[in-house]
Amino acid sequence: MTSPIPRRDLLGTAAALVGTAATLPVSEAAEISGHLPWSASAGTPPPAAPAEPYVWEFFTADEAALVGAIADRIIPADELSIGGKEAGCAVFIDKQLAGQYGQGTNYYLKGPYRPGTPQQGPQTLETFAQRYRQGLAAMVAYCASKHSGKAFIALSADDQDALLHEMEGGAFYTGPVPSSVFFNQLIQNVREGYFADPIYGGNKDMAGWKLLGFPGARYDYRDVIGRRGEKLDLEPVSLMGRPGWNPA
Amino acid sequence: MFTFRRIALLVIALAVLGCLGAGGLYAFNRVTYANQIAETTVPAPTADQIKRGHYLALAGDCVACHTAPGGAPYAGGLQLNTGFGIVAASNITPDRDTGIGGWTTKQFILAMHRGIGDHGKRLYPAMPYTAYAKVSDADLTDIKAYLDTLPPVNHAVIANQMPFPFNIRLMMIGWNMLFFDFGGAEYKADPTQTAEWNRGAYLVQGLEHCSTCHTTKNFLGADEAGKFLHGTDLDGWWAPDLTSNTRIGLGSWSEDDIVTFLKTGANDRMVAAGPMAEAVTNSTQHLTVPDLHAMAVYLKSIPASDDTGLTPVPPTDPQMVAGRAIYGDNCAACHVLNATGVPGMAPAFVLSPSVQAQNPENMIRTILAGGHVAVTETNPTGAAMPAFDWKLSDAQIAAVTTYLRNSWGNAAGPVTADQVAAKRQQIGARERN
Repeated sequence: MTSPIPRRDLLGTAAALVGTAATLPVSEAAEISGHLPWSASAGTPPPAAPAEPYVWEFFTADEAALVGAIADRIIPADELSIGGKEAGCAVFIDKQLAGQYGQGTNYYLKGPYRPGTPQQGPQTLETFAQRYRQGLAAMVAYCASKHSGKAFIALSADDQDALLHEMEGGAFYTGPVPSSVFFNQLIQNVREGYFADPIYGGNKDMAGWKLLGFPGARYDYRDVIGRRGEKLDLEPVSLMGRPGWNPA
Repeated sequence: MFTFRRIALLVIALAVLGCLGAGGLYAFNRVTYANQIAETTVPAPTADQIKRGHYLALAGDCVACHTAPGGAPYAGGLQLNTGFGIVAASNITPDRDTGIGGWTTKQFILAMHRGIGDHGKRLYPAMPYTAYAKVSDADLTDIKAYLDTLPPVNHAVIANQMPFPFNIRLMMIGWNMLFFDFGGAEYKADPTQTAEWNRGAYLVQGLEHCSTCHTTKNFLGADEAGKFLHGTDLDGWWAPDLTSNTRIGLGSWSEDDIVTFLKTGANDRMVAAGPMAEAVTNSTQHLTVPDLHAMAVYLKSIPASDDTGLTPVPPTDPQMVAGRAIYGDNCAACHVLNATGVPGMAPAFVLSPSVQAQNPENMIRTILAGGHVAVTETNPTGAAMPAFDWKLSDAQIAAVTTYLRNSWGNAAGPVTADQVAAKRQQIGARERN
């Protein structure tokens, strides 16, 4: 019989657990009465919306231009709404990569290292910041080799789409992973930038929410819940408000 | 013709006379004090007396001022900002060196009734002897009996931290002559009123010392004549009008509304927050319902303060339009779009005295920094209001406050962004993101 976890690992882990148990701190549970252990301003407010003009925190100017161009092919401007670049998707991704997301602080990055299953999510040691840096460089190189030295932003929309299709099919490697992995990462992050709250840098003027009819960060629908089948046309609300909050 | 010399002589003469007078006053003070506190044997207090004393000490809310934040109860140290300087509340545990362990009951009564402390030292009226003067000798004797049962805590407090000239305690003799001596006397029952009314008046004017916060003050910090419980600013909070004024006072509250508010910290219309939350938590929740009802009966009998009719700001005003949008998106989840609130939790704003108060500072500061409803035995998980300082600009808070003050039957002056900016700075709230 084969065990998915080698016996030696299991025994080692068990021994470590026993060692931990002996040093666990005494419970810090406390009975509280007469007051609430909470203060109104204790929480950390969400980040402030990026200032204009935006100064890139992670991307170089060339990287930023490339990501903007990619965002505009993933969500092109049309008669319904603005495109991914104008919506600030590159700004959104830049802020994310410069922060905790880029450093992978919410991922377990210690051993043991084994290939995982797709169901187990990303199974890589590279941070998202590293993936972007390597991925964009690989993309620049691949584009130059395919289009006699031309940059992605200089290509026609059709050529850009064709290159992205190749990337989606895993035509080259971005660092240790096939280009399809980076492509999916780009799709995911551009979508997030288009639809996340504008305080994170994308979704300019709540364009993404207006496109969907999403009413934003509202707390309460009791006064409209009875109006079934009716188009409500609620102006979306960001965490930092909406234009209607300002006295004209 | 006046010469320089004659003027100088006159000044010196006046100074000498002044010194003699002050010295005489001081000596007289010491002698009379010794006479005033001389005491023969006092019978040991009964258990019942101590229990009554405990109840009365809670009614007087002694603990509120005589306890430093995080300090031992009644051991003093809380710094009170009087507007003239800092006075720290004294240690009133029975410690003989730093508390009042060596005090006789007579000595205690003299301090409570006349504001005369140890060795004839004049107390500052931050200690509300002007109200405690109404309290009977019997009740004060019981309070002293209770305080004597507390564990003595050795905690020396430097009470007088006032700047010159207010640090001269003898000045209080003059202050008392002006504002206290002719009015400050034990409560005399009004024979034309019911026993319940008289009990309520005794509590409101005496131990509960409501006027300390709720009565308009003159430039020397004394209660302004004819403004009893008309509301006033207290260190950045508005202590509201408690008269029968229907717009800004208690005129639209029933007696039961008042009782429920004082007993539980909230009622169907309003919640106690800020300094009043402390008053409810530390003091009024512990009073019996009959005592609270007596207070309500008395409060409801206080004639309404003057109030001129106000025209509400029209709903088309830009502040009102923006205020309505802000209210719907941020406030309505708890306070409800038609402003009926959640009873006992989120205040209602319909025909609301607190919303229409002469000074909107409580609303401004609560929107900025959030707040807590009083925690009581009946309402142990007092609700909380989140802070909006990070989210709303001064102009937006001014707009929503103006909207509240002029909707659902309310009519009160609009609020400016400058008022909000000043309050943001005063209470150290965060800037908007």
